[in-house]
Amino acid sequence: MNRSYLGEFEEIVLLTVAVMEGHAYGVGLAHEITEQTGRPVQLNQVHSALQRLEEKGMVKSEMGEPTAERGGRRKRLYTVTAYGQNTLKQVRDVRDGLWSRLVKPFTPALDV
Amino acid sequence: MKANPQPTPPTWADKLLTWACASHLHESILGDLHEEFYFQAERIGERRARLRYWREALGFIKPRYIRRQKSPYPATFLFSHDMIRNYFTIAWRTLAHNKTYSFINIVGLSIGLAAAMLIVLYSKDDVSFDRFHTNNPRIYRVANRYMAPNGQQTGVTGISGYLPGPKFAAGVPEIQAYVRLMQEQHDIKTGAGIRSEIVFHTDSAFFSIFSFPLLSGNPATALNNPRSVVISEEMAQKQFGTSDALGKTLTVRTGEKNTGFEPYTVTGIAKTCPQNSSIRFDILMPLVVKPADMERSMNWFNTFLNTFVLLAPGSNLTQVERKINAVYNADAKEAIREVARKYDMRDKKEYLLQPFTNIHLNAGLPPDNGLEGRTNPQLAYILSGIAVFILLIACINFINLTVARSLKRAKEIGVRKVVGSGRMQLMAQFLGESFLLCSAAFALGLVLVQAALPTFNHLANKALAISYLFDIKLMMGYLVLFLATGLLAGFYPALVLSGYSPVKTLYNRLQLSGKNYLQTSLVVLQFAIASFLIVGTLTIYAQFDYLTSKDLGYNDKHLVSVDKQNLTREEAFRLRQELGKDPNIIAVAPKNAGRWNTSAKVNGNTEIAFTIEAVDPEFLPAIEVPVRMGRNFSHAFPADSTHSVLVNEAFVKQAGWKNPIGQIVDFWYDNARYTVVGVTRDYHYTDLNEKIGPQVFTMKHDIPYGRFLVKIKPGTETGSLRHIAATYARLFPLNAYTYKFMDDENLKKYESEAKWKQIMLFSTMLTIFISCIGLFGLATLSAERRTKEIGIRKVLGASVNSIVHLLTSDFLKLVCISFIFAFPMAWYAIDKWLQNYPYRIDISALTFIQAGLLAVSVAVVTVSFQSIRAALMNPVESLGNE
Repeated sequence: MNRSYLGEFEEIVLLTVAVMEGHAYGVGLAHEITEQTGRPVQLNQVHSALQRLEEKGMVKSEMGEPTAERGGRRKRLYTVTAYGQNTLKQVRDVRDGLWSRLVKPFTPALDV
Repeated sequence: MKANPQPTPPTWADKLLTWACASHLHESILGDLHEEFYFQAERIGERRARLRYWREALGFIKPRYIRRQKSPYPATFLFSHDMIRNYFTIAWRTLAHNKTYSFINIVGLSIGLAAAMLIVLYSKDDVSFDRFHTNNPRIYRVANRYMAPNGQQTGVTGISGYLPGPKFAAGVPEIQAYVRLMQEQHDIKTGAGIRSEIVFHTDSAFFSIFSFPLLSGNPATALNNPRSVVISEEMAQKQFGTSDALGKTLTVRTGEKNTGFEPYTVTGIAKTCPQNSSIRFDILMPLVVKPADMERSMNWFNTFLNTFVLLAPGSNLTQVERKINAVYNADAKEAIREVARKYDMRDKKEYLLQPFTNIHLNAGLPPDNGLEGRTNPQLAYILSGIAVFILLIACINFINLTVARSLKRAKEIGVRKVVGSGRMQLMAQFLGESFLLCSAAFALGLVLVQAALPTFNHLANKALAISYLFDIKLMMGYLVLFLATGLLAGFYPALVLSGYSPVKTLYNRLQLSGKNYLQTSLVVLQFAIASFLIVGTLTIYAQFDYLTSKDLGYNDKHLVSVDKQNLTREEAFRLRQELGKDPNIIAVAPKNAGRWNTSAKVNGNTEIAFTIEAVDPEFLPAIEVPVRMGRNFSHAFPADSTHSVLVNEAFVKQAGWKNPIGQIVDFWYDNARYTVVGVTRDYHYTDLNEKIGPQVFTMKHDIPYGRFLVKIKPGTETGSLRHIAATYARLFPLNAYTYKFMDDENLKKYESEAKWKQIMLFSTMLTIFISCIGLFGLATLSAERRTKEIGIRKVLGASVNSIVHLLTSDFLKLVCISFIFAFPMAWYAIDKWLQNYPYRIDISALTFIQAGLLAVSVAVVTVSFQSIRAALMNPVESLGNE
């Protein structure tokens, strides 16, 4: 394997960070993920996923501006690193490859 | 949402997170949580948002968030060589720079430690008493108690007689061996002279029960032969000039009557008894009991010796006690009945076993009747209390001075912090310094103990040696003491100093002269203890003076007391004739030896217990006690010796007589009725620790004379004593001659008070000294701290007087406050102590005023030295060094 292992939730977080383009931080990500996937997300899960991603070098963070609703505290803003982007691409390539080899793609009958 | 327009997240959850989570994560975690909270509060209401907040917050209590961030800088190595060397350098420089404080700190602490060590030695000695016997948990002393019919204990004693030992050993299988120990005084021939020595008579099992090693001789057989004697190494040296005296002959007179000297063969030389032994013998002889004495049932009630038994391993004490009482009740049946009939005794006698090691510190069943080392357990408590006081004061000094001195070291701490010292390092540094000082004090303390030991031994009546200290348990004890003192003394400074903010200290914004409550309260505590002890000492001194100078009711000056066992009436008559040939001898009065207590009936059926004195008509004039009513005994009334008694006023009072002359004192058990012919004034026939009780003077023949008093003319001591000695040697060539002056003897009765006095004086002086050096240090620091203030005051026109007053009054206030605490406690304590004395001084306000004045003046002298120096300083110097 030429890339680090990426968990399913980590992948979603990483992708969401990429989607949010520099505005990604704890609560924002949690809301976005809940909205997109429909599953309830706890803040500590998001935080630990971000920490792990940062340890792997797939995201980097910097402190943003303080805001009133955070009691004057600053946000920690995350952006995807080149390594993160590569990883995401690789994951996608693997999936695309697999999808393309699917002889008879699923019909949308499964949408329940 | 309606009531509270601004919902707030739960503060406790925030606090928890701040405490638990790593600090670098606080901002983003708390920020996110708060943002989420406000969002949710809008959406689902505050109450549920709060619940949710808690759930979310608790989700962060995980190792991932708790783990602290690694510092990007290399960790400071606590035990780096350079830093440790630096600590030593700085510690040494601070010590050398502040010589006074260093001296005060070390000396104060070492005195405190020395005091504590001495007490440890003392208590170790007390606790170790008699523990060296290898048979130990199994050795017991046979004691007995009297139980009233209502089940109340009326008396208890460790004294027994000939019978219990052998009878119990024969009747109770658990008793493996017994040994009786009887103390007597015998005359011993020494070359040309005669010396009176204390001799113990004992059974042959002595050396198998007790662990007294013999230097030579066989311990199993040494005491088998009735003509054998075992002597101590010391006695062998004294008697024969060599410790190799086995087989030599000791000439001893043991007979009760004036029988001659008989030879005894030395069959063993024992090592001199250790001083922590209750049994300390120099001469040990076999105890010979006539078979007739063993048969007499009445001997169960004849008690005069100590009996020890050795129980078999694993014996049940309660069972053994039940068995010995069964033996006693069976064997002594006859005697019990006879005693009940003859003396109207209703109390039941019960035997019990007292563990041997329990004797030394037992107040109810103390070491007596030949056993040594009777001690007052109270003394040990008081001594320990004093040692704790002294150690406490020394530690207070140490804390006070270190904190005060460290205020000056604030800059050093600031710099250390700025260049990267952690709090742990600072704490380690200060604790380390404290331990360094402590070990210096410890070494000095050991030297002090060695130096003070002789005096202490004298005061405490012990023979302690510093070699006692080299013992594993004690070493551990000292290690604990060392650690405790070091920690106690260094903990506060380490904690407070390391907490200073470097910014404050470096910008000189630290308020150095703020109200230091710890320091002031410690000074108050110190002086409270000191003034408490001053009051105690003054009281003990006053009471001692009172005891030794109180009018005893008789004249003990120029009164010589000479012992003579079994002085018969004829011998007394001849003695008076012979002594009277010297005109310097005013009176000769024979008297019974020791103190005889008995009881008799008055007013028909009332029983009175009293002290009975066997005297003759010369006695009362000789000691100058006047007869208040009636007359003295007289040779003109020959019936006096069989029909008359004199009583003292206390007796009259207790009997309730209006008209004492002619009343009857009925010695009903002897069938003798005596008529009171005179009443003497009360006098203190015993020491003042006892109230004057009823006293009866008789000329009855059945109480033997045991000594005689000789009143001599003042200034003729040498000649008179020579005459008495010569006469004694001529009349009683077989008796050892010893004499005592009564006034000296009376002083000796207050030896324990004298010892108390010395101990109190000693400890008070120590306490005051330590308190003073502490105060001196503080005064020095305070004067130094206020150098600039004093300079400015002087420039503005303050006089030296007013400045001295300013600096001194601060401390004096504290000393005065300490009285508020000390005096009520002192009053309570001395009141309790004085209750022990039936004849005592009143507690006077003067004592407290004196103590107060003393404490204040000592404090003034201590403080004013520094105050005056500070006040005399030239303001140019103090202000110019900016």
